[in-house]
Amino acid sequence: MAPRVQSRSVSNLLPYITSSSSSTSSSIPSLCSSSQSSRYFSATPAPQTKLRRQMFEWLSTQGSGLKHHTPGETNYLRMADGSQSNRPFPNNMTFISEPVLSEELRNEVYFRVKEQKKSPRAVSVELGIDMNRIAAVVRLVELERRQRDKVNFDSSPFFSSFEFSHSPPPRTQNDETPKNRLHCHTLVLCTKWSPPPPLAQAGERQTYHEPINDLPVHPATGAQIFYPVPESRPFTRVDAGRVFSGAPTLEKKVSDKITHPSDLVEDVIQKPGSIEWVGKGDNARQVLQPADVRIPHPQLVQLARDRAAFPEERRTVTQRHTERLERQEKAEKERAAHAAERRNRNTETIEPQDSRFSFRIKDAVVSEETVGKNGRAPWAPGRRYGVPTNDRTRGTVKIPTRVNV
Amino acid sequence: MVLRIRLARFGNKHQPFYNIVVAQARSARGSKPLEVIGTYNPLPAARTDASDAVSAPRAYKDITLDKVRAKYWLGVGAQASDPVWKLLNLARLVEEKPKTYNKA
Amino acid sequence: MRNRASNSLSKGKIRQSWSKYNLYNLQRLRSPATANRTFFQQKWSAKALGRAYHGEQVREGQWKRMFSKRIRSVIPMDTADLAADDGSKNSAGRGSGLQTQGEKGRPSRIIPFTQMAFAPLERRLDVAIFRSLFASSTRQARQFVIHGAVTVNGQKMRHPSYLLNPGDLFQVDPDRVMFATGAPKTKFERRETRQLKQKDEEEVQDESEAKSEEAAETKPDTEKEDGRDTLKALMAQAKNIMSTDKEVLPAKRKQELRGFQKAVRRVLSRSGTSTILTDNLEAQFSELTLMLNAKRAEKKPAKQTKQAKNDSEESDAATSVEPEAASNKLSEAFQAAAEGADVDASELTDEEFEVLKRALTQMRDNPIDHSKPYATPWRPRDFMSAFAFIPRYLEVNQNICAAVYLRHPVARPGSAEVPTPFGESISTPAYGWYLKRRW
Repeated sequence: MAPRVQSRSVSNLLPYITSSSSSTSSSIPSLCSSSQSSRYFSATPAPQTKLRRQMFEWLSTQGSGLKHHTPGETNYLRMADGSQSNRPFPNNMTFISEPVLSEELRNEVYFRVKEQKKSPRAVSVELGIDMNRIAAVVRLVELERRQRDKVNFDSSPFFSSFEFSHSPPPRTQNDETPKNRLHCHTLVLCTKWSPPPPLAQAGERQTYHEPINDLPVHPATGAQIFYPVPESRPFTRVDAGRVFSGAPTLEKKVSDKITHPSDLVEDVIQKPGSIEWVGKGDNARQVLQPADVRIPHPQLVQLARDRAAFPEERRTVTQRHTERLERQEKAEKERAAHAAERRNRNTETIEPQDSRFSFRIKDAVVSEETVGKNGRAPWAPGRRYGVPTNDRTRGTVKIPTRVNV
Repeated sequence: MVLRIRLARFGNKHQPFYNIVVAQARSARGSKPLEVIGTYNPLPAARTDASDAVSAPRAYKDITLDKVRAKYWLGVGAQASDPVWKLLNLARLVEEKPKTYNKA
Repeated sequence: MRNRASNSLSKGKIRQSWSKYNLYNLQRLRSPATANRTFFQQKWSAKALGRAYHGEQVREGQWKRMFSKRIRSVIPMDTADLAADDGSKNSAGRGSGLQTQGEKGRPSRIIPFTQMAFAPLERRLDVAIFRSLFASSTRQARQFVIHGAVTVNGQKMRHPSYLLNPGDLFQVDPDRVMFATGAPKTKFERRETRQLKQKDEEEVQDESEAKSEEAAETKPDTEKEDGRDTLKALMAQAKNIMSTDKEVLPAKRKQELRGFQKAVRRVLSRSGTSTILTDNLEAQFSELTLMLNAKRAEKKPAKQTKQAKNDSEESDAATSVEPEAASNKLSEAFQAAAEGADVDASELTDEEFEVLKRALTQMRDNPIDHSKPYATPWRPRDFMSAFAFIPRYLEVNQNICAAVYLRHPVARPGSAEVPTPFGESISTPAYGWYLKRRW
């Protein structure tokens, strides 16, 4: 219990004592001097500590601008020098609040991918948006449309029961947009969209949303290696990749054929398995490929090379580029189809007439390879008998690690 | 004693999962069977793939089954329990079981 | 789990929260003094400060298991540069490229690796929900997950510690998001909610009475004067609603909205075209727009189609952006319309028409509803804007409260994607703390 302050003489001393330690919230009579006359003997703590008072003071003066925002503009804390910027944390200069896609741009992405049947790769280059983001935007817009169509508020039990009690308006078809248009995206800057040309020619600039050719830094490149090279031989990115992954130097015959590292792109796209392996056992690894192969849009390098080689023949350059893109997309599609086919080879989907569900019957084979010698191999179909589950052991993840789409 | 092809419940509370097993009819549900020939997950998994938006896809239930072994055990006289009969019918290994009201 | 995430002013720790206390703490954050402290002490306090923000809901042991000293980074490549050179120029000479006098390469910015020390925590579902602005704090996001308001890839996920994989789509119940991001109810609004519950049945009766009264009001002889008054009222209300003045009290705003609603209803009841006197906003809205559209169509049919296109494209973002000037114009237009008898609405320009439409849309989309747990009409929380940003590794759709976790956060030259309020002076010693294995 806090000591009771009895006399006024003590109260005069108190401010000096409490001012040194700001955290104490004991009664400071001088703080509430206006109301003091009416309650000499009151021992209730002062309504606010010093810090609280300072906080509300700041919130009402310098911080008052942060209370509300102007839609379409960011409103972050000011930097140390008093300037407003796109950095939400004044102490952290490396984190920047970057603009998000506007609604029109999202719809444009959806339109190009779904209606115009363009590949995500092509749309990514056209609009300067990362390919992953293109896929995500298409998914989200599709989900939005589906939910707008599917969620029929009139038929759902919640809303019908609601209707009886409150008689809310029957909803029109347009109104199915969930009411959560939060205006949140107005808080964050939107990337302004203006229809750009299909592909900017040299000298033109496109309003890119984000860098699309990000090269992930490979852990193998972290090592600092001293590697003597004869001056008579050029040392290219292909050679550097081989050095980093510890592969032997390419023979001169082979290396002479490679005029530029982007020559390898075609092979890797057509046959990703053709990349050379080095090392044995657990240490086996694929040879690190040059940046020209590992970036998401390797065909852009080839396009730039073609442009430099044939500056006059724009049509040929474009044609070669489209051909290359087509080849790449065809290879990717084939590979995806092949993988899907291999996945579904042993599964059969049955949709009975009288059932709400469909059944996926997967063919399992009980043999020595599939269930082990004693029939108890962990990869055998079905739950195991007599084998303790490992979900109690320390460090294992007991919650789902992935949710399949 | 009769051999039965039946379901053995695994999984957790509110989260059943079945092994399709071949076992002696009188043996306990959780005891070690002669053979596990498949699994059945009765919890329907919703399909959220965005590819077919228009036709609402049905939720699916997963079955794994070794058809060769199932045929063999049926051939040597193993009797399928009613739930397993339905599953085997889906896999087109047995005819649909005649319903009692059809007989009458 | 006990909530230790207090926003204490005396401790001055920063949390993942939109609270104003947190904002104040953030504002007065200074990098800690290092002069008289040992290296251990520096690391200790840096890690304590960092962990108070990053995953304070995660046990230390759990976090230590998640920590990875490997940090993902990315270099944006220029295709023109790659095409121009096969790398032999860079490796020429003594291995770092031939240097000519006066030539300078691009100034290389360093990659802030240590700012990514807490990157693994950004994979957590609760943190991702907070980062996509669906919850006002990570603790709240955690509650949403536990209470079953969150789905991942269409399936309900009740584990806040679920680690999102690249490509995972998560969705939060929109009502919860409205509650989390909306301003809280005032004392009076809470009282109104209680009253609403009590007088539920009475109100239904009242409404039906009011309907009949209004129906009685529509007399042909008083129509003209009535029309002018109601139109004037309508314009005034629309103007008030659309004003972006921040100081208007929510209660007053609501009053105005109600008035506007009433005025619209009266206009409708007066107009001869509306055969059905509807009580619901949607029908009113469609009726009114139809009326106005029809009147406009008489004069400029070509323009009207353009108008419709514009309307559909118009995002709600613009709803509240409208400057007051336009609403003033609207009021003038209404006056004109009232004087020139209510048959001719062609005086309305596109802009004015737009404003009226927006006011109506806003009234419809953001209605007063006391059954909601947040202040209605919905408005963003105070001091929310200071925390409103969406990092690049998330793609968020606010309309359906869903987001996709695109990839793991990465560092790139000059910037790091992990949103952290601390500078290098804190993140580097904190990273150093976890590099050394102490357990």
